[in-house]
Amino acid sequence: MITHDLFLPLPLPLLSVGTMLLLTAIAWRRSTTRSLTLALVTLVLSLGGIGYHVGTPHPEGLSLFVQDRWANYTALLILLSSLSILLMSWRDLEQDKTHPTDEYPLLLVLGTLGAISMVFSANYLPFFLGVEILALSLMGLVASRYSRLTEASEASMKYLILSGISSAILLFGIGLAYASTGSLLFSPPPSGNANAIPAIATIMILVGVFFKLSAVPFHMWLPDVMDGAPPPVAAFMAVVSKIAIFSSLVRYFGTGDTPGYLHGILSAVIILTILGGNFLALRQTNLIRLMACSSIAHVGYLLIAFFSPGQLRSEAITLYLAAYAASTLGIFAIICAFALTENSLPNTITDWRGLFYTRPFLATTLSLMILSLAGIPPGIGFFAKFEVAATGVERQQTLLLAALVIGSIIGLYYYLSIVRVLMGTQNTPSLQVKKSQSPELTTLIVVLTLIVVVGGIFPARMLPQVLPSPPLPQNELISIQEPMQPSL
Amino acid sequence: MNTLALFSGAVTLLGAIMVITRQVAVHAVLYLVVTLLGLATVFALLGAPFAAALEVIIYAGAIMVLFVFVIMMLNLGQSDREREKEWLRPRIWLGPALLSILLCAELIYSVSSSPQQEGPLAPLSARDVGLSLFGPYVLMVELVSFLLLAGLITAFHIGRHRTEGR
Repeated sequence: MITHDLFLPLPLPLLSVGTMLLLTAIAWRRSTTRSLTLALVTLVLSLGGIGYHVGTPHPEGLSLFVQDRWANYTALLILLSSLSILLMSWRDLEQDKTHPTDEYPLLLVLGTLGAISMVFSANYLPFFLGVEILALSLMGLVASRYSRLTEASEASMKYLILSGISSAILLFGIGLAYASTGSLLFSPPPSGNANAIPAIATIMILVGVFFKLSAVPFHMWLPDVMDGAPPPVAAFMAVVSKIAIFSSLVRYFGTGDTPGYLHGILSAVIILTILGGNFLALRQTNLIRLMACSSIAHVGYLLIAFFSPGQLRSEAITLYLAAYAASTLGIFAIICAFALTENSLPNTITDWRGLFYTRPFLATTLSLMILSLAGIPPGIGFFAKFEVAATGVERQQTLLLAALVIGSIIGLYYYLSIVRVLMGTQNTPSLQVKKSQSPELTTLIVVLTLIVVVGGIFPARMLPQVLPSPPLPQNELISIQEPMQPSL
Repeated sequence: MNTLALFSGAVTLLGAIMVITRQVAVHAVLYLVVTLLGLATVFALLGAPFAAALEVIIYAGAIMVLFVFVIMMLNLGQSDREREKEWLRPRIWLGPALLSILLCAELIYSVSSSPQQEGPLAPLSARDVGLSLFGPYVLMVELVSFLLLAGLITAFHIGRHRTEGR
């Protein structure tokens, strides 16, 4: 009998059923509003399904999927982000009467299915299939903008090729890992003086993952692709796909220390990512490209927490993922609120000049989000960065901390210069805005702002223990008394 | 056995390099067939005859026919006879044919010479593949169906843009 050893976290079948229903609805009669509503219902139901599962887990842990607090937490973040992205794109899709774009919500749900499958996977197979489902759906989403067809197609093509290369490297690494262990289950790479094949396998898997995470030196595609994509899709790439791949990275390495031969590579990649992302962002004049570069830098900060397994790591990663997702989604929601038609998208940062005088509410929220990303106290980003720095201090990663400090200083410059542009005066407002008639966008922006501000004031409330912390080494038990809690 | 598999691997690699360096699409397709046949030989030598058969039937057979069809339908203009003459000079098909003959000879040699050792490693039959696909990995088959669905919808979505954009 097949069914008795199946184990499936509930969001996966819910999303699959939602996809099938969407397909049926589209085949019956095309209607953008109905497709959007169906996608919304699917995402909300899957949100309710987190924490439940179908079937019983395999007694020896040999299932394809795993469900623990880490998986549930990242699945929650991914589903909430997808929900926000659906709300962001709602108005543009409904207004576009000439091109019925039913495929957009369908691909969004499919992409979420891929991301959720990556998060819950305990095995290379569902992980790789999830990566591919996400990449293929993203390709269609990137090319979904009619008014800028050439740019969108170019971005989509770039994404196709680079995602193909990275998948090939990832698959090669998985193949080598299978050849050396004989099992497709995620197993932490052997530490110590391993022989060549497992080490090469681990490095190739890491390179594939870094491609997908867009860590420097594998980052060049992200600004181009995000620029060519519609803003909600850019947010999807920056948030959902990165959270999913980061979740799998943490699951792959487990909670222990990373093997010794990786220390040098990881440190180099982290330093390059932080500095490279920030230096690239310095020279951008386009807000979406700037967000892409800042997201590269944030991946670097996140990798510091990943690379410092200690008592504080779980909290740091939890808080940082939430802070990054909320602030980035907030900025993209505000960008969407200004894109009244697809052609009038504010392209350069100088287009936003004087926003504090024309649209004070949006300008204030945008500034709050930017301050949170920069790591300035009212936002949740401050505590997130504080925690990341604390993990680095705990493991005495001096070099990485120096990169973090330098990167944050550079970051302050370009983040604050956006706020300065917002406050600047101009006689003729360059951004022609009328009162936005989209209650869902306003609600989304208010909710995200509340998360950023309240999370910044009471961060301890948002800190469930999602990752098991590694056991304390015996000789350190005396020196470390109580893990520092930034509770205000 | 190992050297034979490595040899087929080398032929596969050679074919793949030729695919991406050819100027005319049909010539690249010829070498692509060789690449796929080489891959199938590798599978067969490694004890997975079912995968090898699938590789030949699906990729070298069905998908290549589709490729050739598309290329023929795209290249309108020249008269068919001239084009066919130009495409199928002996110089063009000699290389792929030679490589295919090498692969064939290798396969015949390995079938005739290798003693059927009865060890712990038996060749994987179609039954084994089916049992594992519809046993422990049945959920993965479902996920693959969603992967194909995503590819299909994306291709349709982008293709529709293209035709409407003209």
